[in-house]
Amino acid sequence: MENNNPLSPHLQIYKWQISSLLSITHRIVGVINFFAMILICVWAIFIIFGQNNYSAVNIFLNTSFGKFIVISLCWTFSFHILNELRHLVWDAGYGFDLKVAKITGMITFIGSFVLTILFYILGRNFF
Amino acid sequence: MAQFSLPQNSKIEVGNYFKDKTNSKNLRKINVYRWDPSTGKNPRIDTFEVDMDNCGPKVLDILFKIKNEIDPSLTFRRSCAHGVCGSCAMNIDGVNGLACIKSHSDINGDLNIYPLPHLKVVKDLIGDLTTLYKQYESIQPWLKVDQTGQEKTELKQSQKDREKLDGYYECILCACCSTSCPSYWWNGDKYLGPAVLLQAYRWINDSRDGDKKERLKKVADELKLYRCHTIMNCTNSCPKGLNPAKAIGSIKKMLATS
Repeated sequence: MENNNPLSPHLQIYKWQISSLLSITHRIVGVINFFAMILICVWAIFIIFGQNNYSAVNIFLNTSFGKFIVISLCWTFSFHILNELRHLVWDAGYGFDLKVAKITGMITFIGSFVLTILFYILGRNFF
Repeated sequence: MAQFSLPQNSKIEVGNYFKDKTNSKNLRKINVYRWDPSTGKNPRIDTFEVDMDNCGPKVLDILFKIKNEIDPSLTFRRSCAHGVCGSCAMNIDGVNGLACIKSHSDINGDLNIYPLPHLKVVKDLIGDLTTLYKQYESIQPWLKVDQTGQEKTELKQSQKDREKLDGYYECILCACCSTSCPSYWWNGDKYLGPAVLLQAYRWINDSRDGDKKERLKKVADELKLYRCHTIMNCTNSCPKGLNPAKAIGSIKKMLATS
């Protein structure tokens, strides 16, 4: 018999925790990175076909929208790397304590912005 | 693909408003999820004005006050009222917990009370936990030994081995953790969920049990175990302060190293 009783509310009412917010961010950022990697590969292929293509992309990346995208991608990669490290530590069996998980979560979040700035400065000055 | 919104028959409507009749100065608004199977209507949120000057300290005291003095049709499960039986598990102010040990003074503003998330509602605050109990049965939560029963020898356990069960044997199966887990919301029919996996770990980790390898093999499944993405809502909600996320992590580690 089909149970026609209503489903109790879930996502609609459950309070976000630091850990759950970071988890869903990790998932979304992972999907963004997946597509970003494809775009970067396409860009690399374009370069093979000549200088004109390279300069076209270069002009786009120097617009404010282009810069926004580059900086955003710096952040998505930074966040994903740091949170993935957190997952690595979990897989090794450490850091499950609620307090520790909260602290590592905050470090990941703040660290991702620090890493973004570092990436940007490095990219600007050395490459 | 998981369905993130509520189905049509589960959409919540605005319910009745029960105004205070005691002329108390210290009132608090309590919003409670209601659903009556006999009406055929959608669930609703009833709001009760409760006189807090004459009310006990816990959320369960509020529910009893409403049931005794305002609306006797309010339905909820409870038994021991001391955080041992796990019957009064519900969603209080957005986080799962036991109504009997949750102080209402810890919560600011209006108090929102819902049943445990993503369950079929039986009535008002009672959710249907049949699936969870079936999954619990599937991990065979009893001691499995090579003895035939004729030996009549005691199964001894050293203090050290016994200590390995600390933090796991205390679980009262209130289902706060499992119903707080988004993975369990979307894959509850296949993923075992934190409560059952913590129990599975408890038996895998018992030095007296003779079926460790078989138990590990049974649980090592893409859907049963690895749907855990360490979201940690489970550990955040456990009213007994246990750590299901750690138990699941330990099983994964055992499987990776064995």
